[in-house]
Amino acid sequence: MKKVNALILTGFGLNCDDETAHAFELAGAIAHKEHINALISGKIKLEDFHILALGGGFSWGDDHGGGVIQAVKMKNHIGADLLSFVDQGKLIIGICNGFQALVNLGLLPGLDNDYTKRSVSVTYNDCGNFRDQWVHVAANVKSPCVFTKDISIADYPVRHGEGKFIADLSVINTLVANHQVVFQYADNKGNPAKGEFPLNPNGSIEDIAGICDPTGRIFGLMPHPEAFNHFTNHPDWTRETQLLKRQGKTPGQEMTIGIQLFKNGVDYIKDAFF
Amino acid sequence: MISCIEIALKKELRDAEASSLKKKAASYFGINIQEARCIHIVTIESDLDQGQLKIVKDEIFTNPVTQVSSLSPLDIGFDWCIWVGFRPGVKDNPGATAVEAIEDHLGKSFGPDEGIYTSKRYCLKGDTLSREDVEKLASELLSNSIIQQFKVFHIDDWDKNTGAKVKPAKVILDHTPCFEIVSIDSDEQLAQISDERNLALNPRDIPVIREYFLDSTVLESRKSQGLSKPTDLELEYISQARSDHCNHNSFRGTFRYKDASTNEDVIEKSLFKTYIQEPTLKLKEQKDWVVSVLWDNAGVGKFNDETNYVVTGETHNSPSNMEAYGGAITGIVGVYRDPMGTGLGSKLFMGSFGYCVGDINYDGPLKPPLHPRRLLDGVIEGVKDGGNKSGVPTTFGQTLFNPGYMGKSLVFVTALGIMPNQVKGEPSHEKKTSPGELIIMSGGRVGKDGIHGVTASSESYSENTPAGHVQIGDPYTQKKMHDFLLICRDEGLIPFITDNGGGGLSSSIGESAMISNGCEVWLDKVPLKYEGLDMWEIWISESQERMTIAVKPEDLDRFMELSKEHEVESTVIGEYTDTGKLHIKYKDETCAYVDMDLLDKGFPSWEFDAVWLSPQTRGLIEPVISSPVDFNQLLLSMLERPNIASKEWVIRQYDHEVQGGSVIKPLVGINHNVPSDACVTRPVLSSSKGLAFSQSLLPWYSKIDAYHMMACTIDEAVRKLISVGGNFDHIGGLDNFCWPNIQHDPKKNPDGTFKAAQLVRACRALKDTCEKYEIPLLSGKDSMYVDGHLEGEFGERIKVSALETVQFSATSVIDDISKCISMDPKVAGDLVYVLGETANELGASEYYDAFEKTGLNVPHVDFDKFKRVYSTLQKAIENELVASCHAVSRGGLGVHLSYMTMAGGLGLEVNLTDFPIDKSRGELLNETLLYSESAGRFIVTLSAENRPGFEKLFNGMAVSCVGVITDQHENLKINGLDKEALVNLSTVQLNEAFNKTFGDMI
Repeated sequence: MKKVNALILTGFGLNCDDETAHAFELAGAIAHKEHINALISGKIKLEDFHILALGGGFSWGDDHGGGVIQAVKMKNHIGADLLSFVDQGKLIIGICNGFQALVNLGLLPGLDNDYTKRSVSVTYNDCGNFRDQWVHVAANVKSPCVFTKDISIADYPVRHGEGKFIADLSVINTLVANHQVVFQYADNKGNPAKGEFPLNPNGSIEDIAGICDPTGRIFGLMPHPEAFNHFTNHPDWTRETQLLKRQGKTPGQEMTIGIQLFKNGVDYIKDAFF
Repeated sequence: MISCIEIALKKELRDAEASSLKKKAASYFGINIQEARCIHIVTIESDLDQGQLKIVKDEIFTNPVTQVSSLSPLDIGFDWCIWVGFRPGVKDNPGATAVEAIEDHLGKSFGPDEGIYTSKRYCLKGDTLSREDVEKLASELLSNSIIQQFKVFHIDDWDKNTGAKVKPAKVILDHTPCFEIVSIDSDEQLAQISDERNLALNPRDIPVIREYFLDSTVLESRKSQGLSKPTDLELEYISQARSDHCNHNSFRGTFRYKDASTNEDVIEKSLFKTYIQEPTLKLKEQKDWVVSVLWDNAGVGKFNDETNYVVTGETHNSPSNMEAYGGAITGIVGVYRDPMGTGLGSKLFMGSFGYCVGDINYDGPLKPPLHPRRLLDGVIEGVKDGGNKSGVPTTFGQTLFNPGYMGKSLVFVTALGIMPNQVKGEPSHEKKTSPGELIIMSGGRVGKDGIHGVTASSESYSENTPAGHVQIGDPYTQKKMHDFLLICRDEGLIPFITDNGGGGLSSSIGESAMISNGCEVWLDKVPLKYEGLDMWEIWISESQERMTIAVKPEDLDRFMELSKEHEVESTVIGEYTDTGKLHIKYKDETCAYVDMDLLDKGFPSWEFDAVWLSPQTRGLIEPVISSPVDFNQLLLSMLERPNIASKEWVIRQYDHEVQGGSVIKPLVGINHNVPSDACVTRPVLSSSKGLAFSQSLLPWYSKIDAYHMMACTIDEAVRKLISVGGNFDHIGGLDNFCWPNIQHDPKKNPDGTFKAAQLVRACRALKDTCEKYEIPLLSGKDSMYVDGHLEGEFGERIKVSALETVQFSATSVIDDISKCISMDPKVAGDLVYVLGETANELGASEYYDAFEKTGLNVPHVDFDKFKRVYSTLQKAIENELVASCHAVSRGGLGVHLSYMTMAGGLGLEVNLTDFPIDKSRGELLNETLLYSESAGRFIVTLSAENRPGFEKLFNGMAVSCVGVITDQHENLKINGLDKEALVNLSTVQLNEAFNKTFGDMI
């Protein structure tokens, strides 16, 4: 049987590669962790993979803006490969630092079929500091994003100092109209946070936690779905477990909503390519 | 050509950095800034033309959505402008990444005369701002003169064309490297040279050093290399190796211990051997999970059948006291190199912090180098950048306040790694160097930074302490190296690896060459940050982010290929030999040639007089305080105390989830804001095993007796581990001692003998506790000079010593993480139990501290009684009888019942009449029951259904059901000994008090 090959980039201060690879494996893909320079030198070829993951971390120490130098480097050396990867209908996911890189590359938001223009930014949190907390995100059911199919609300951790999504009002309006806003920070019922801290941890406009391109095949988000790869990752799992046990149930029987997100991507490739 | 790019956020966007400046200016100094904006400046010295400069400005340094930029000064209005830049030679991390980015973008490489330097300027508006205010902000908030320089401009002095007139912060030494021959005609002469050169040689070592170099055989052998008397490099090598930091002379010293009350009079030959090494080696024989202890950079324990874990911890106190951010980031990034250099190298999977500082609201006359508030801000930020950018979760930490730490604050950093137990079929925890293997230095380059760091930390802080050893860690360079080295390890390319920390190459090569029995080092090959370093400086520089690695010649090409792919600089700088000589050359000229066994040549151990005076003889008594009337207000005021109050603001700045293995987080409970007893992490994502980790600090008890301080600290760390589901049969220990000077001097250190006795007693407790609880000490470190001489109101200097402090860390491996539990009560109707007796033990408690009293009845640990409870509790948790569990620690049951109530978000009702008590140390009143800090206690909740099974397990132990969890209200209700309502506070009130002190900090 054919396998879905996911490429997870490493090197230059990126750091979520192990758990991102683990998440893809749990989602049914073959995960390949490779150094950015392996792509640049031609040691490996982007076209041999179905999904490209730009994971979290501090590429180039986040100096000069999160994801900025990574974007410049990738554009310089493999810009054309990235565009043809997109043209082939394959998937790109950028998480946290990877999301920052995608918007700096211009692969997001990809308005008017322009995948090189920087029109949105993910900048310093309003609270002025790095922050680690779990958030609730509400998914836009009308979004074309292939990764969030059948997901309505999810809990993931955010861990960033630069996660505030901003853009000109016209760009925001277009993103909303196109249903490119995939995830919004929300309360535990799924109602948008309306900017309220800490439900919205960074002051993002429109509570935006993640966006996709118009095709739904390029997805960037600040929260870390790969960090919810096991039921014991959730901050309330000990409480949930007690409650389940009292009902005679066993916890951890279902796939986490973190892995579900990756599985959606893997399943999409299976449908589209195999 | 020198060009400056100025970059600022667009005016309509929130400038978080400037907002923070406004807030701090107001709250720290009462200075009112109406408007502030921050400009980042990238100063480029290169041959780039205007076209290229514009390209890099637009395509690298400017975000078109958020930023504006210019190649001339940005026209942003101000009344005052402060420019802050690094001093020459200080590590400029964004400057280095800017070079990397431009080189890649333009396809050019920067020559030795080219470089990039970053700086900032702050544009301030305010009607009332005076030059004095602005200079205060510049010097006390925005810069530290040790690493930075600043300029202040009034708008009237500002030239719009030249702006801040930024010059490259470039090091120009203009010096031809050389080495010197040192005269050793007499002991006095060498002692004088030691002083002049800051060698910190112990006077008792000096005759041994002279004897060696004057020995005729030695002279003969040195003659063959053109040497006679010692070179400066050789003396520096000896100084590093013999420093207290590297050699632990205090712990290996001889103590003449006298106890005035019992007439005990004994000679303690080596605290390390007697109280640490012997018990640990004995336990290693009994416990098959103990893999490697007491010799490598970190200890190694078994995690599962395929992997081992690695743990170590250290302090970075002296540098952090002078430059908090730089000291702390260097500390965390530095301790992370220890697991990387343990065995054949491990992958980092978690870290922790411990901060002990003075009162952050101190407004008295003493002038510490940095105000405690500023110091804490800087330290928190340093560990944040160092830890987060290393991609390692910081899953545990403590922040503690006591006036004694104003003399010297403590910064503890701990690191854990994981490695496959075999590499290419060989055990991964073993490593050796062999003749013929090449010596490789990987990572950062060498500069003047960090020179004499080791010897400075072996001295108390004074006005003469050289500041030049403060550095700024570079987690980016180190993370690249970390990833690269793990690949080399897995390919079997590394027979030996160690880090360059204290003592630089002198320590790393000096120690690793002992194994092969010799080395030849080519110092001229060592890559430098700038030219002009003398040989001894290259040899002992502590420039960060470097590892020393042995590589077989046949593996060199592959090693270098991987190094190149990962963009890590690696250089062959010598080879290991078996000549018995440490042979150092610079361009074919020998500058050191000494015997590898020189350090075994009978250097005398240090000697200390230790005189113990019991608390009674010192006049300590129990204070006379009648029972409080208002127990509600008392409890709220306890929760507001800095050492009890929420430190959520610190913990949230640290990524505690990266690597995806978080099981029990540092903050728990329904609102995720109550500190957890311990953390649990899955270092191997495919395994259901977890690594539990806890830490304790109880320095207050040293005010009465450091023996009980040590015993209680370990007991608490163990209880915290058991609380989350830890395994009592597998507890690894890590001791980090921080002690004031123990060398008696009638004028400078009149109570040195007492502090020495406290150290002996703490070590005795360490052994007693570890033997009883069967805890091998996987690793440990000591920092022996936690004193400061602070300038006072009239120019006098007052010695301020820290409390005798030990941070004890404990590890355990949990077989099935799904059985881990957290401390929050979860279900209404559950029963509340207290395990362990409360005794009249308020000595040095938080309660007495609230009344500025010390007392006498310090808590005691009853090892045999407690360990029965711990093993039984472990069984109860494994059998899934327990719904929540919490170790009672600082603040006693009153505080910890409050923590549980807040964490559960449910009502909690208890009766003090039902609490297990021990009257052997005196009667117990309501306040004793609520605030005594007796060791060995837990609060547990469980479903009524599990009551019989639970009580059967604990049959015969001091365990009582004391109350119930309810959803009828959200209050903590405590009935007193007279059965009347004593405390009745809602979770809202508790949370308000708990978050009052630091709640507005983010």
